Amino acid sequence: MRFEEAQRELERIVQQLETGQADLDDAITLWERGEELYRLCSDKLDSAQGKIEELGRRVEAVKPAEPA
Amino acid sequence: MAKVEAAQYGDRKVYSVSAFNRGVADWLSRLPTVWVEGEVTELRRQERWASVFFTLKDPGDGSCLSVSMPRSQFDALRLDLGDGERVHVYGRPELFEARGDFRFRALSIERFGLGDHLAALERLKRKLAAEGLFQRRRPLPRFPRSVGLVTGNDAAAKRDVLTAITTRFPPARVVVAETYVQGPRAVPAIVEAIGGLCELDDVDVIVLARGGGSFEDLLPFSDERLVRAVAGCRVPIVSAVGHEQDQPLTDLAADARASTPSVAARLVVPDADELRERLEQTRDRLRRAPLLTVERKRARLEGTRGRLRALSPSATLERGYAIVRREGRIVRASGELESGTRVDVELGTGGFGASVEETRE
Repeated sequence: MRFEEAQRELERIVQQLETGQADLDDAITLWERGEELYRLCSDKLDSAQGKIEELGRRVEAVKPAEPA
Repeated sequence: MAKVEAAQYGDRKVYSVSAFNRGVADWLSRLPTVWVEGEVTELRRQERWASVFFTLKDPGDGSCLSVSMPRSQFDALRLDLGDGERVHVYGRPELFEARGDFRFRALSIERFGLGDHLAALERLKRKLAAEGLFQRRRPLPRFPRSVGLVTGNDAAAKRDVLTAITTRFPPARVVVAETYVQGPRAVPAIVEAIGGLCELDDVDVIVLARGGGSFEDLLPFSDERLVRAVAGCRVPIVSAVGHEQDQPLTDLAADARASTPSVAARLVVPDADELRERLEQTRDRLRRAPLLTVERKRARLEGTRGRLRALSPSATLERGYAIVRREGRIVRASGELESGTRVDVELGTGGFGASVEETRE
């Protein structure tokens, strides 16, 4: 699942819960799904950030000397 | 009109020198009386001569014209002319028959000084302005492949501009066209230099540079021919002539004017240090951009999660609320119950079964 899809679904769930329309059992199911989506998104962000930082360090390492 | 007799040798008509001169003199005397402008040189005046003689020199190309004027008339004008003074002479051509010398016979002479010069310049300026020659302000290229530099061969002006350009932008390529920048040959030479640079394919901008000088020194830069050449230049041209207070007409016809060599450099080449700095800034932004994206997305995600947490039913139960179910369905109003109904109550921690004792509205 792509990050944006997960994020969209998560936001839709929160909106649905906020209107108070869902009955309790559905609410609990939705809530659990929401928590699951949050973890998914959060993991994806962590991994993206890790990759960016790693790449930054590698670029820094091969940076040519500044001309005088 | 005097009749000029020729001797006849077979089918050849031959004139005596005297007759020829007389004929030419007669023809010349029928030419109109005109005003001629030039500089007075070699003024010769002697009490025992009936006429005063001088040479009128064209400041443009050095052409000369012998002038004579009856001494009494010349003295009456009280001009006290010095060598090199600009004058307007009113007269007509004549031939001094005894010697076959052609000269201009002056009837009147007027000094044409600085004020007259300025007035003439002003007239030229208005005329060229009316033609729209002073309205061209093309943008200068930001990264010219080559800069054409028209300058005198005097070291200072050329070096100043070259140094200013290469200091600001070391990789700059400058094509220098050295030429006369004052004197009678200046105008055609500069016009030719500009034309030559225009023919080079990679010259994208031209600087016309000339250090400060006297009003007279800078006159070529107000010459109509040069001003037209500047206005018609194929590539944008910067006039860097004289100092701030001078305003030769090339300044008006050029696409930009520079009061100093460093101003000229600023106009025609980019600042290498500034470019490097901007590149570094862009690179820093490039490096930060992906992390910024992650951070922004994370902030939004955390915001959503906060809302999700607030909606969590367990959080509500923790705060002391309870859920009452009748046959598995949540009870929302007392009207759904009556005395004795069995219900199931869920708490923050655990739950219990109960029986309804009484209901209230």
